[in-house]
Amino acid sequence: MTLTLAIHSSKGGTGKTSIAVNLAVAFASAGKDTCLIDMDLRGPSLCSMFKPKTHFWINDFLSGKCNLKDTLTDSKKDIGTSGHLYLSFSNPDIGEIRDLVSKDRNWQAGALKALMNGKRELAEENIDVTILDTSPGVEYESINAVAASDMVIIVHNDTKACHDCTEQLIKGVYTLLDKRCAIIDNMYHGNCLDIKEKNRYGVPVLTTIPCMCDIATRSKNEILVHSDPEHLFSKSIMTIKDKIEAMQ
Amino acid sequence: MDSELLEQVVNNLKEINSKLDRLIVQIECRDETTSDKDKIAAYSLDVLTLLSLPDHLRTTATTLFEIGPATADEVANVTNKERAVESNYLNQLVRMNNVKKYREGRKVYFRINDSLKKK
Ligand SMILES: Nc1ncnc2c1ncn2[C@@H]1O[C@H](COP(=O)(O)OP(=O)(O)OP(=O)(O)O)[C@@H](O)[C@H]1O
Ligand SMILES: [Mg+2]
Repeated sequence: MTLTLAIHSSKGGTGKTSIAVNLAVAFASAGKDTCLIDMDLRGPSLCSMFKPKTHFWINDFLSGKCNLKDTLTDSKKDIGTSGHLYLSFSNPDIGEIRDLVSKDRNWQAGALKALMNGKRELAEENIDVTILDTSPGVEYESINAVAASDMVIIVHNDTKACHDCTEQLIKGVYTLLDKRCAIIDNMYHGNCLDIKEKNRYGVPVLTTIPCMCDIATRSKNEILVHSDPEHLFSKSIMTIKDKIEAMQ
Repeated sequence: MDSELLEQVVNNLKEINSKLDRLIVQIECRDETTSDKDKIAAYSLDVLTLLSLPDHLRTTATTLFEIGPATADEVANVTNKERAVESNYLNQLVRMNNVKKYREGRKVYFRINDSLKKK
């Protein structure tokens, strides 16, 4: 069975994309056939890091113009993972993004149906793990991704606003959709060794990652979990992967 | 005098009953043969509407999303509720235009309402 993870956060810039990409590479490196989908249709990221080899975007799939398979680029050889690493890109064209923002709820309803079908499509292909990177907050596409997932990974930073909004999201969205959740504390400024908290809002905290300039600068050219497995960030990603697997 | 009044009441009730019956038939026919024009007015089920549904209907709708088109029996198997209960919930969702009901052979199927045709 395919495990589908939605990486979401209440606020922007908490490290969702960094964690989604590294987690996908970690799963693929461990031999899992993995699919990473850029569901951040409002602020595409994947196309800035990898090169698509197909002319279909995830946007086309959500609009019913192609199958999910048609949008996938296999990066297994480029990155050198043992499992397949399929990437589905979101269209960075500004006209496309303007168009998306003006889509109505009927389109979003169709997009959710498409995502559920896509999930079945990937299960038939025996994909082990699917990771959905999302836009922050209550955006249609993000909540669609949450609804299509088996588990929500909440990437959190240590601000009051993020805390308050996360609690709301857990109560008013994730729980209502019956989703299992887990929190990752990212960009933590205190001493990580002091952390004792295992649970917050009734949700397990998987790990705490410190704020390190190193992570931001090196991530421009590397996927740390691949290029430097001994890095603290990479080790945190492996912890996250192991804990998610243990929870299944 | 009294019996005359009673008879009149009974007759009125009968008339109301038959009107209701006709209405029900009309509504059921309309459900089964929604024309393309009606479809445009119909809501399909988007995720924020899903979130605003009461708990019992949301579970039913989510299940239908997960398993795709299904009979009330199949939905009830997943939710562990009685078939009659799920059938009731599904029909409520049909009346709210979130779910579509159709026949295939002798079975009645339900599916999440389609969204508009894309341009
Ligand atoms: N632990 C960390 N310490 C320092 N910098 C980090 C850390 N984690 C991520 N970053 C950096 O923070 C920036 C934002 O990260 P990222 O793009 O992953 O966030 P995001 O949640 O996906 O943002 P958005 O909400 O805009 O999609 C990036 O430059 C990234 O390298
Ligand atoms: Mg991002």
